[in-house]
Amino acid sequence: MKTLLITNNPLVKEELSEKITVKYYEVDYLEILEVVRDEIHKGSKLLTHPLSGSVKPYETPYKSIIIEEKQGELDMDSLMIIEQSIDTTKKFIKGKEVTEWTSEIKEDFQVIDLSIINNALSSIK
Amino acid sequence: MRLELGNILIKDVQFGDVTKVENNTLFVNKEELINLICEDENIKSVEVELAKPGESTRITPVKDVIEPRVKVEGPGGIFPGVLSKVDTVGSGKTHVLKGAAVVTTGKVVGFQEGIVDMTGPGAEYTPFSKLNNVVLVCQPKDGLKQHEHEKALRMAGLKSAAYLGEAGKDVTPDEVKEYESLPLLKSVEKYPNLPKVAYVQMLQSQGLLHDTYVYGVDAKQTLSTLINPTEIMDGAIISGNCVSACDKNTTYHHLNNPIIHDLFEKHGKEVNFVGMIITNENVYLADKERSSNWAAKLSEYLGVDGVVISQEGFGNPDTDLIMNCVKIEKKGIKTVIVTDEYAGRDGASQSLADADSLANAVVTGGNANEVIELPPMDKIIGYTQPVNSIAGGFDGSLKEDGSIVVELQAITGATNELGFNKLTAKGY
Repeated sequence: MKTLLITNNPLVKEELSEKITVKYYEVDYLEILEVVRDEIHKGSKLLTHPLSGSVKPYETPYKSIIIEEKQGELDMDSLMIIEQSIDTTKKFIKGKEVTEWTSEIKEDFQVIDLSIINNALSSIK
Repeated sequence: MRLELGNILIKDVQFGDVTKVENNTLFVNKEELINLICEDENIKSVEVELAKPGESTRITPVKDVIEPRVKVEGPGGIFPGVLSKVDTVGSGKTHVLKGAAVVTTGKVVGFQEGIVDMTGPGAEYTPFSKLNNVVLVCQPKDGLKQHEHEKALRMAGLKSAAYLGEAGKDVTPDEVKEYESLPLLKSVEKYPNLPKVAYVQMLQSQGLLHDTYVYGVDAKQTLSTLINPTEIMDGAIISGNCVSACDKNTTYHHLNNPIIHDLFEKHGKEVNFVGMIITNENVYLADKERSSNWAAKLSEYLGVDGVVISQEGFGNPDTDLIMNCVKIEKKGIKTVIVTDEYAGRDGASQSLADADSLANAVVTGGNANEVIELPPMDKIIGYTQPVNSIAGGFDGSLKEDGSIVVELQAITGATNELGFNKLTAKGY
């Protein structure tokens, strides 16, 4: 199984690149979900839930998702989950201004996202 | 397993020379409590404040709320596997300082959340405004990392609650309530004509600030399992969950889980409450599948007619909730799910991130996106600055006069998914 971690969290890239292949994108939360959706359309399968963590999509700018990278038949379960997650995210960010966080708070968000995806990675390995 | 809960009704809290309960007042020796908390080398200093119902006081950011309890008879001690040995608790006699609580606050991360107002419109949305609170404002040692900081606060709260609970050990309770779970076959025999019901409790278990512990074990590393409801009344489940203030379960919620209390209330009358299953909410999808498979398998094994399933948190736990519901329904067992909603400020949006037609009996704790204005308070305990970056707040939500415009999700316990509050929705 070829696992791939898709993230916009620089701390995840720094900390986990030796454990798993990391594809890092400098995009926002919603765009990370869209990158994953595109991978699913090519045949990849979701391994972690895109709405991980209780920090709301309009609060944290960071999102990390692990997929099984492959090409072929569409995995409908993965597609359903990513589409529902994109809908939920759009609902949450609609009408809300993007907050400019301080670098300390950004680091906190990065640490939480890292902790959650690292715990999931421990289960996968 | 039979547990007697002796409630000592606490109507006031004051500082005093000796920590004791006298005439329904809890006296706290502040210095002794501070020394106890500061035994942890990760805590540099702590301020202890009192917050009583009706006072113009705002506590924020609230991390955990804990009810002081003490074991009086029977095996084990409060918070087994964490403060006490891992003996099986839930039998014998336990005293409760009913009406008192320890509240921990602290700036573990910058965007913290959780408001408890002791008066005004916000007080109506949190059950903790009705309690006599001993509030800990802890300062960590310099450079302490987020994981250690969270643990230090968690332990400070639990130790303080156990310390205060001891003051009730030799006090005669104002009321005594009994709770008894029989072995499954005996329970089935005792009320053969009543519908057999179990409770499936979902526990938040994702990572930093999103964790729950069962007898000291991180719930994300567990398989779904059976537990006696009275074990939870002795602190077998504790909260390390600091995110999503409105719908996280504090340790206080676990100790006083209203679903358990209501099922006991109806036991032998309307239903036969035969058991309880705990299951986790991990991020890895295969864990979700495994845990919900086990919750369904255990429900089937218990041979129940119906289960109540409660959720904790928002987003991906919606998927666990629906998996549990659908898989248990497919075993021929009726389910009722207890959740809350993020339905937009007008309440018109889809409430959950997942759904299924088998989830046709739903109890909601309310809409977390509803907006409320909290007037300024005379006294702030904790830190006001994080309110600007609080969940449910938004830029500029903290006004110059100290009032705050927030969504209900910022208020601790506002839309609790055990139903430990007043909000709900009804269909007509």
